[in-house]
Amino acid sequence: MTLLSFDVVKRYRGFLLNCRAAFDSGITAVFGRSGSGKTTLLNCLAGLRTPDSGLIEFNGETLYSSSPQRNAPPERRRFGYVFQDAALFPHLDVLGNILYGYKLTPKEHRRLDPDRLIALLQLSGLLRRSVADLSGGERQRVAIARALAVSPRMLLLDEPLASLDAAFKGLIIRYLKSIRAELGTPMIYVSHSMSEALALTDNVLVLSDGAAAAYGPTGSVLVHPAVGALADYGSLENLLEATVTHVDAPHGLATLRLGGVDLFAPGVTAAPGSTVTVSIRAGDIILALDVPARISARNVVAGTVEEVHARGARVIVYVDVGVRVVVEITPLAKESLGIEPRQRVYLIIKSSSVGVLEPDRR
Amino acid sequence: MSTADISILLLTLRVGLVATAMNLPLALAVSWLLVKKRVRGGTLIDVLVSMPLAVPPVTVGFLLLLALGREGPLGRLLGMDIVFTWVAAAAAAAIVSFPLVVRAAMVAMAGVDERLEMSARSLGAGPLRVFFTVTVPLAYRGILAGLLLGFVRALSEFGATITVAGNIPGKTQTLPLAIYTSIQVRDDFRAGALVGVSIALAAATLLAHNWLLRRAPRESG
Repeated sequence: MTLLSFDVVKRYRGFLLNCRAAFDSGITAVFGRSGSGKTTLLNCLAGLRTPDSGLIEFNGETLYSSSPQRNAPPERRRFGYVFQDAALFPHLDVLGNILYGYKLTPKEHRRLDPDRLIALLQLSGLLRRSVADLSGGERQRVAIARALAVSPRMLLLDEPLASLDAAFKGLIIRYLKSIRAELGTPMIYVSHSMSEALALTDNVLVLSDGAAAAYGPTGSVLVHPAVGALADYGSLENLLEATVTHVDAPHGLATLRLGGVDLFAPGVTAAPGSTVTVSIRAGDIILALDVPARISARNVVAGTVEEVHARGARVIVYVDVGVRVVVEITPLAKESLGIEPRQRVYLIIKSSSVGVLEPDRR
Repeated sequence: MSTADISILLLTLRVGLVATAMNLPLALAVSWLLVKKRVRGGTLIDVLVSMPLAVPPVTVGFLLLLALGREGPLGRLLGMDIVFTWVAAAAAAAIVSFPLVVRAAMVAMAGVDERLEMSARSLGAGPLRVFFTVTVPLAYRGILAGLLLGFVRALSEFGATITVAGNIPGKTQTLPLAIYTSIQVRDDFRAGALVGVSIALAAATLLAHNWLLRRAPRESG
């Protein structure tokens, strides 16, 4: 069901945004390179910028319309907005930031309790801290809690991971996933990273030069021609959630449970039982049709091919191993192995290719 | 100091404080319009509010005399004659010091990250609430510094004051006017003492002003 539909024209500093689309609930990524109009679009949806003309409708309610003239101010739209660098209020402490919007939310709209958000985003130890003393990851968590505390009808996130270290990205991705699972808040996630979009989102809108170039389910939009020019497939990675089951200190290897399979990864500092985000580059995974014998790679995982997309010099394969994994192979490899949907395959992953995105626990 | 001198000092402080108090809401409103609302005709307003800084204070005094007089537009509005009272002195001091207050407030408000205000809007705060819960708290050092600078300017106001409020001992004779009178009557000793008081007042205010500005503005989140 359509949740948000818009048709927006906005000239901004010599740039023209002219974009129409309709989003379902769930998480939608707005993907494009910097300067493609992603943030301008998000600001128009939030009411922080006024379009030159067009229409924005949320759940049947007109938020903006150029004729007849209608423009709901941002404070009436009840959309949570998370800025790229958090934009926390420096004159308030962490709790003050979280409660700023909550206090302004009429009682009948309050669905999310601040205590629940504080627990969900694990902020209870930070509440009296000054926001100047927070790490990048902590700032982003506070910003997300602050936006959710108004019980928003939708959460708009503008590249929330862009200014974070890899270690914190994994953490924030997990928090966003738990928000999706527990609160069900629809989200628009602006990003220029296909890996993040793949890890988090259901659908993707591709923006190119201010116009919608493609829209659809994340997996298939990734290989859309419009994305081919924008995406850096070489850095495409799987960002997956895993549980540490065992740490073999002498060999420096940890066992991670991911979907239904075990993976070995080096250099894990997280304790057994904790949840981590794992990163595996799509190009670092080898596909085999038989169980390979006597090889050095520690991870051999059985799976079923779901989709095969050939795009120029690249073939993107989605394999279900209990979770969905994206693998990149060459057209030649696809041809000689005859990779097709529903085929039984084995993924070969060197343990050194399994990166654990986790901040050091001290 | 004689009791007369103390009453001169008190009158001067009263004129300065009232002038500053009149300037605060006006300066907040004008800088909000110019910096945050970016209203049309902003340049014109900017020139107009800065004008008292550029013209001789006696000009301000003359125009104020016309406006506040019994036949003047403001005089008729008030229904009374405040010319040659301490209120007129406060009004003169307010107008002459206003540019200093408003310019400092504008600089301070321009330094507040727009995204913080946008965040507040998306969190449910209307423009007025954003102004008082985000903009002003984050700009208060600069605003306060501007008020102090305006206050110290109001204390030293002479040209506009003598034109519109006169130089009436015990009524409108502020510190600068008393110094002027002392020099006129060649009472150098008294003039010197009053000059000392004047310098001490200015030094204290300027020190506070610099202390406010030297404290690093907090990092924006």
